[in-house]
Amino acid sequence: MSTIDKEQIPVFKKWRHWYWLVIGFLLVLVVLFYCFTKFFA
Amino acid sequence: MNFSRLDWTVLVFTLLLIIVYGVYRSRTSRNLEGYLLSDRQMPWWLVLLSIMGTQASAITFLTVPGQAFSDGMRFVQYYFGLPLAMVVICISFVPIFHRLKVFTAYEYLEQRFDVKTRLLTSSLFLLSRGLSTGVSIIAPSIVLHSMLGWDITSTNIFMGGLLIVYTVSGGAKAVAYTQQLQVIIIYTAMFLAAWWAIKMLPEGIGFTDALHIGGKSGKLNVITTGVTEKGFDWKDRYNIWSGVIGGFFLALSYFGTDQSQVGRYLTARSEQESKIGLLMNGLVKVPLQFCILLIGVLLFVFYQFNKAPAFFNLAQEQTIKQSANAGEFATADQRYQQVQDEKRKTVVALGNALQNDNETEIDQLRSKLQLQQQEARQVRDSISNIVKKTIPGSDGNDANYVFLRFVGDFLPNGLVGLIIAIIFLASWSSIAAALHALASCTMVDFHKRLSKRAATPLQEYRWSQTYALIWGIFSVIVAQFSYNLGNSLVEAVNILGSWFYGTILGIFLVAFYFKWIGGHAVFIGAIIAEIIVISVYTLDWLSFLWLNLIGAVAVIIFSSLLQVLFFRSSASAPQREKALPK
Repeated sequence: MSTIDKEQIPVFKKWRHWYWLVIGFLLVLVVLFYCFTKFFA
Repeated sequence: MNFSRLDWTVLVFTLLLIIVYGVYRSRTSRNLEGYLLSDRQMPWWLVLLSIMGTQASAITFLTVPGQAFSDGMRFVQYYFGLPLAMVVICISFVPIFHRLKVFTAYEYLEQRFDVKTRLLTSSLFLLSRGLSTGVSIIAPSIVLHSMLGWDITSTNIFMGGLLIVYTVSGGAKAVAYTQQLQVIIIYTAMFLAAWWAIKMLPEGIGFTDALHIGGKSGKLNVITTGVTEKGFDWKDRYNIWSGVIGGFFLALSYFGTDQSQVGRYLTARSEQESKIGLLMNGLVKVPLQFCILLIGVLLFVFYQFNKAPAFFNLAQEQTIKQSANAGEFATADQRYQQVQDEKRKTVVALGNALQNDNETEIDQLRSKLQLQQQEARQVRDSISNIVKKTIPGSDGNDANYVFLRFVGDFLPNGLVGLIIAIIFLASWSSIAAALHALASCTMVDFHKRLSKRAATPLQEYRWSQTYALIWGIFSVIVAQFSYNLGNSLVEAVNILGSWFYGTILGIFLVAFYFKWIGGHAVFIGAIIAEIIVISVYTLDWLSFLWLNLIGAVAVIIFSSLLQVLFFRSSASAPQREKALPK
């Protein structure tokens, strides 16, 4: 399966990068939402 | 609700547009691959819109703003596990489905385990999805009946009948192309409604002021931890932990093992395009859901300046007014209006304090508003109890009606018709995909697998159409019976789905990651896991979101134990894997 994955990863070279992107995206959202909650509370 | 001639024109035009477009774009090869998988020719953006359209049912658009209206925005956390699940599905599920060129997700299970595991999993899917599709038809029909007085049976037949026409005739291609148009119309109409709510706020109160008022009323609670003075509340449905962990497993099972979603991304023209569609869905889902919830908060603020009904379900309100509990309801209603009047004064004062940037006054008014908000909630709870005891089968929850009541009472002619149209479109969008998935599983997992007679491609195409038609008629019949069983069935069927999702996911996780476990062990392990899930639910230990995790983990643990203790000598997975095409 690993050989197939290497050939078929969108945008990046490794799936690890997608994990980092998604986790980073979620963290940014959580921080933004937290600030949003606090700012308007 | 006043439904003008202009509204009828907009409604009929929008529905006709979808049907004509669906039939027009439905020309495809007359074989199984063409009908079930659209010849695997779809670009990634169409796969994305199709995935989004399948997930968002009509009740989603009706319930989500109502959810924010009553409980705030914390529901958005329910989707936090989804982006990570998309990456896992792209790594583990999509390559195998594409490599094996399967029509259904369950087809893979026979190649990995055996035929009984495939049929068990496919049956669990058909059972849960077959019933929930019926409820997907009845839920919006009930709402339209309550708000517009439309006859339930006629609405069901109308809603189901038109949908069956293009789903049966066009297959996967019609489903995908109509979903594309449906999703665009739905989001446009929702944002128009939000814009109108802001426009109707009193002069001097803008979007930012509305957010301040919503926030100070406790409605912008986007991030919550679920931790109380007594520790973590396991029954708290929506918090960051249940969202990330429970939501991850829910999304993994839904997008990885539910044929109504798997069938969407198998139509992609390549493995790469399937993955891009899924990954994009992971990135857009949370922000979009945030926006829909924000509409609920804007409605809440709108109703701080305008007369809000004590109970938003118009039909049930009228029933109570004619019942023996009418007096009790009138007293509660009067009290609610008093609290609302007091709140309105506080909100107006808060608006002025915000404009003058008077921090001390803002703090005082915030505390006052929160106390009034608490009192309003208590009065609404007491009204909910009156509804429950007056109308048997009612759950006393009016969240589904908040948005529509606003539409009916305040939106201009034409826009009302468009909003009613999106209820149809959102219903069709998810039901069409479900009917198509039910037909695919019946045809591929049962008919084709168990039939001893060889059929021509055209015969298989015709059989698939027949199954789509049968499931369509079945869903309309289930919808009719669901209404007789009461409103609470909507929630019951959602929970029914979570009974099976975890087990189905567990079977797939064993298939992908536990290569040494064979078919006998996973089959018995899945049955034990199912019993455990139903027991945990019956004993009411946890919120239903955790059932997905429990089901999946139980399948892994029990199938591992059974393999080690009883089936060590049986054919192992690696041997079977060798038989799979590379």
